[in-house]
Amino acid sequence: MRRRTFLKGAAAAAAAAGPLIVTERSIAQTRTIFVNTWGGSWTAAEEAAFFKPFTDATGVRVRTVAPVSYAKLKAQVQSGSYEWDVTAVTQADLLRADREGLVEPVDWSIVKKDKLFPNAVYANGLAYCALGTNLAYRKDKFPQGGPKTWADFWDVKKFSGNRSMLNNAVRAAQFALVADGVPPDKVFPMDVDRAFKKLDQIKPHIKVWWTQGNQSQQLLRDGEVDMMVMWNARASELAQQGHPVELVWHGATITTTMWGIAKGAPNRKAAWEFVQFAVQPKPQADFANRLYYGPTNPEAFKFVSTEVARQLPTYPENSKVAIKPDTVWEAEHTARIQERFTQWLAA
Amino acid sequence: MARGLKREHAAAWLLLGPSSVALTLLFVLPIGLMLVTSLTDPRVSLAHYQRIFTVPLYTHVMLNTFVTSLIVTALCLVLGYPVAYVMARRSDWVSTALLTIVAMSFWTGFLVRTYAWLVILGSKGPVVATYQALGLGGPAPKLLFTSFASTLGMTHILLPYMILALFAVMKKIEPEHLKAAASLGARPLAAFGEVFLPLSLPGVVNGSLLVFVSCLGFFVTPILLGTPRDMMISQLINQQIEELLAWGFASAVAVVLLVATGLILAVYNRFAGLDRLWG
Repeated sequence: MRRRTFLKGAAAAAAAAGPLIVTERSIAQTRTIFVNTWGGSWTAAEEAAFFKPFTDATGVRVRTVAPVSYAKLKAQVQSGSYEWDVTAVTQADLLRADREGLVEPVDWSIVKKDKLFPNAVYANGLAYCALGTNLAYRKDKFPQGGPKTWADFWDVKKFSGNRSMLNNAVRAAQFALVADGVPPDKVFPMDVDRAFKKLDQIKPHIKVWWTQGNQSQQLLRDGEVDMMVMWNARASELAQQGHPVELVWHGATITTTMWGIAKGAPNRKAAWEFVQFAVQPKPQADFANRLYYGPTNPEAFKFVSTEVARQLPTYPENSKVAIKPDTVWEAEHTARIQERFTQWLAA
Repeated sequence: MARGLKREHAAAWLLLGPSSVALTLLFVLPIGLMLVTSLTDPRVSLAHYQRIFTVPLYTHVMLNTFVTSLIVTALCLVLGYPVAYVMARRSDWVSTALLTIVAMSFWTGFLVRTYAWLVILGSKGPVVATYQALGLGGPAPKLLFTSFASTLGMTHILLPYMILALFAVMKKIEPEHLKAAASLGARPLAAFGEVFLPLSLPGVVNGSLLVFVSCLGFFVTPILLGTPRDMMISQLINQQIEELLAWGFASAVAVVLLVATGLILAVYNRFAGLDRLWG
């Protein structure tokens, strides 16, 4: 209780320190919503696919705050001082946030079931887009044909070359299991010990464990590494720029990014209107056509050419051979695996 | 007389008022809250501290953070001292040129400078190209994504702080002191060792503390240039806060970092006399 009082005091002090922001918000009232986003090409695609059409249709303005911060969701709810109303987080993160009471329950007076597709709602959020974490490689380094599976990625004799992986415990463990012969749809629940045993084999051959999307692109573009773990749209972007980059879908992880609304957010009503709008087929397709992350709404594929669709994570041919995620398992085990992984990396 | 003194004191306290309030609000309270969080989130216990000192990862990262900071500080001092010396002792264009270069480096974003090292040390960068052009044989040594690259990057970023701190003190050393030493028969090296060096020590302390403390909080540069082995404490804190929402544990790590830094300063103060050197 005392802590909460203190936090409120601190929030008030912070508000006093930033009168500009507060004034702007109070003038705008509910006619503006604030969206937490990644910035860069992600926000540009959102602007064209979601924000502008939504403002045109409803008159509600959309302001963005970058980058996405999962921690700020908690900080906002605890302090009662809001910088944004809507954020985009992974399904597992949203589940954890929902269990901690950090997100608004779905407002069924605004969101209409008949406007949604099956499985659109999860943990009080709406499914925004699907993101593939794939094996990507430089075609020019493998004239005889590149790696086609995680087992190939692990085969340093047959496919020599510099490698890089994403610095993320759960993803790395998943790929290790597939490399060790576990079928992609049988990865969960994960045999963590087996995964780490397999990771031991590849560790000396990983030149860099990347953490940021633009860092991953730099590595492959500059030829710093020849094959790596990469987010699918980042790899497609390189290919579009003319770099010889090939993407492998077998054993890729497909995670769903969700729209979530901060508990108690001042503009939550308009925010629910916005997320409902954003998961409709047309905006979803517009986003996917700009940035190759897959639409969650199956109807969206009507507005996407086959050529583009084949590069999206939710294209049936792709999702068929990908790892089937178990969000509940992930949300419960991430902290423990991440600690073990960080320790393993530092050893 | 006594009353006058009291009034003076009152005025002093009044003047101190705003800054005390600001310090309390922005510094003392948040740190206090952090301490409380480390002991109460998610429940009241010492479990977070126990975990820090029993799980090898955390002691490793803590130790690595301090060792790396010490190395970077030493490198900055060794590299920065001669530059600051030349800048302070000369008053012609050389001094201006050096100051301009240091200031430009100072004002260039550290992210830009970090990415510049990615290019310079990269497999298609000038270092590797030179190595291959010289035909030194074998594959070029791996430079990028090593502890070397990470230390180099941090040293480069913090060097201007050291140089400017040294310069500020050295500039105030009267050239007459050295002339006096010379007139009394001291050779240049002796004059430097007996006169200039001791007078420049406050700059050494200021610069070293500035660099050391800044280095403790380094974050992006080791991630981009180094290996996971070079993990610094702030990466760990960030991971706990951003990815795992484990604020209690993150606070405990931050408290340990703060206490350890305080202890180092206290030891330094005891043996090097921080206060005496400061003024």
